[in-house]
Amino acid sequence: MIEDILFILTNTLIYMVPILLAAVGEIITERAGIVNIGLEGIFILSSFSATVVAFSTGNPYLGFLVGILVGSLSGMLHGVISVYLRGDQIIAGVGYNSFAYGISVMGLITLWKQYGASPTVPTIPVITIAEKYSISPITPLAIVIAIAAWYWLFKTTSGLKLRACGEDPRSAESMGVNVFRTRFYATILGATLTGIGGAYLSVGWIGQFTRYISAGRGFIALANVAFSNWNPLLAIIGGMVFGFFDVLAIYLQIKAQTVLAIPAAYSYLFKTIPYIGTLAVVSIFIKRARIPKALGKPYIKE
Amino acid sequence: MSSILKDIKVKIMSRYEDYLTTFIEIAASAILGFGVGAIILYALGYDAGVAYSILFTRGLSNANYLLSKATPIMLTGLAFAIPMIAGVFNIGGESQLYVGAITSLVIAVYTGNPLLAIAAGIAAGAGLGGLIAVLKVYRGVNEVIAAIMFNWIFYYTILYLLTDKLYNPQIPHESLPVPSSARIGVIPTPWGEIRAIFFIAVLASLLIYYILYYTSIGYTMRVSGLSPRSAKYAGFNPERSIINSMLLGGGCAGLGGSLLVLGYMFSLDTTMSSLYGLGFTGIGVALLGRNNPIGIIFSAIFFSMLIIGGEMMELKVGTPTELADTLIGVIVIALALPYAYRMLISYIKTRRLIKK
Repeated sequence: MIEDILFILTNTLIYMVPILLAAVGEIITERAGIVNIGLEGIFILSSFSATVVAFSTGNPYLGFLVGILVGSLSGMLHGVISVYLRGDQIIAGVGYNSFAYGISVMGLITLWKQYGASPTVPTIPVITIAEKYSISPITPLAIVIAIAAWYWLFKTTSGLKLRACGEDPRSAESMGVNVFRTRFYATILGATLTGIGGAYLSVGWIGQFTRYISAGRGFIALANVAFSNWNPLLAIIGGMVFGFFDVLAIYLQIKAQTVLAIPAAYSYLFKTIPYIGTLAVVSIFIKRARIPKALGKPYIKE
Repeated sequence: MSSILKDIKVKIMSRYEDYLTTFIEIAASAILGFGVGAIILYALGYDAGVAYSILFTRGLSNANYLLSKATPIMLTGLAFAIPMIAGVFNIGGESQLYVGAITSLVIAVYTGNPLLAIAAGIAAGAGLGGLIAVLKVYRGVNEVIAAIMFNWIFYYTILYLLTDKLYNPQIPHESLPVPSSARIGVIPTPWGEIRAIFFIAVLASLLIYYILYYTSIGYTMRVSGLSPRSAKYAGFNPERSIINSMLLGGGCAGLGGSLLVLGYMFSLDTTMSSLYGLGFTGIGVALLGRNNPIGIIFSAIFFSMLIIGGEMMELKVGTPTELADTLIGVIVIALALPYAYRMLISYIKTRRLIKK
């Protein structure tokens, strides 16, 4: 029993990382008034590029850095489109998701002649707590980033300026804030944090790139943004809740097969748990959420 | 009918400039898509020239195959376009198509009646679309999040149903087949036999066009989409429009799944490879068709060419079929930028004036 609880607990700490990092990044981006629903695509492309670099150099840290950089570049692309070119932010995000999936799987097939998963690559070492339990150093890092983001957004002047861009960009501009630049940097920062999550998926955790590596986590992170009411501190709790659903699905799958000897086909049903859980949580909690007022609307200077 | 045609003619003449801009946007997006695609192909070590020549020649070589492949994505295109016109983002066409396909399959297997099967498929898709709309209107759940969650929930649920309940004992990796009495056949045309499902999809597009532009339900939806505040001021209920549009859109995707099963595949494989991605492709179809049901007919055929061309390229030069996803992604990103094209056009115009 205690073993089971420890299994769920340590794994929740592993699973929450990408959901938390992407959610904190998206909170920063959305607080500045830009929606980026390309989180899923950033996860895919960052984890893919991290895998490629770790595979060819044998160095997971280098792979990790490149994965983060790809996140930043994705953010730059989305920033140019949505801030300077006044593009439709949702459509650009949808297109980016498709593009990132397509190019990553093309790379997977071309580089390794594999259709499902890449060869395994070295990963960032984990911190061993007890003999069977370990956590990644990225977990505490993600929590520290969330706390720092909260402090920055709500306790500093520059954080206030950023939030002003998402609430009332015209007033922000008249107070001397450069709305375009703030939104642009916020989009890059958000995507960079998502890139950390994506790189973590492959070189910090799974140790390879797989076709469906992100499995909707980018959208679960978006659900976490609304769940946490655009507050990075609550996003930590959200990350744990949504990560827990993932672990629960796996735990039940293992139990069902080993203890109850339920046929393997049922494992598909257990896999729906994280998504049903997410849907249930957002249906129950979101109603009270307060969306940044100017979210998703391009700012047009007079 | 003739009054409608006349009306369309007048509309086209009066909005000549608009249509020209739209045409430039679409052309520029496609060119950008193929350009980026060529760079990626080159970077991965393929010959882009050979690959594209296969794409355009082979993609269009078989009319029946081209139009059959265009059918489901035309309908998932409508599934995205109709809610978009009412201001809702339906990226759940994927799962709405799944439930339409599986419901039709089950009804066809047990009753052998195609009409009943189609009706059930439409109802299943509409039900799921409506559920997303209800969650949005009454619980404030973002439709994008809800739709993606439903996509995954139904992806796994249907995998379970196919592998555990509906598999064919003779061919375990396939589902039970649609009985011959429930199958939709082909129609002879001057271009050879074409599957009837294509014409059904075209009729559905025309019907949606009529609903959107010639009925009060469509009018309220369009007003709500352009400005929910004006819709309220005019006494319309924008929330009602959201639900209507999602019922219609979901119904279209459900019909897409239904026609795919009853008129083309006749059974589903247990990995769902014949269904996966059709909803997402529909988003690109709708955007390239500018959310216009008539435009969607043509853009579905264009995307069908991309998909078939991608398959042929894999056979001939070994490029992964995901090239189609990549191209579609770039085209969709490029289509998100109407303002950029307008700026470009006005820049060129001013340059010309200055030179004169």
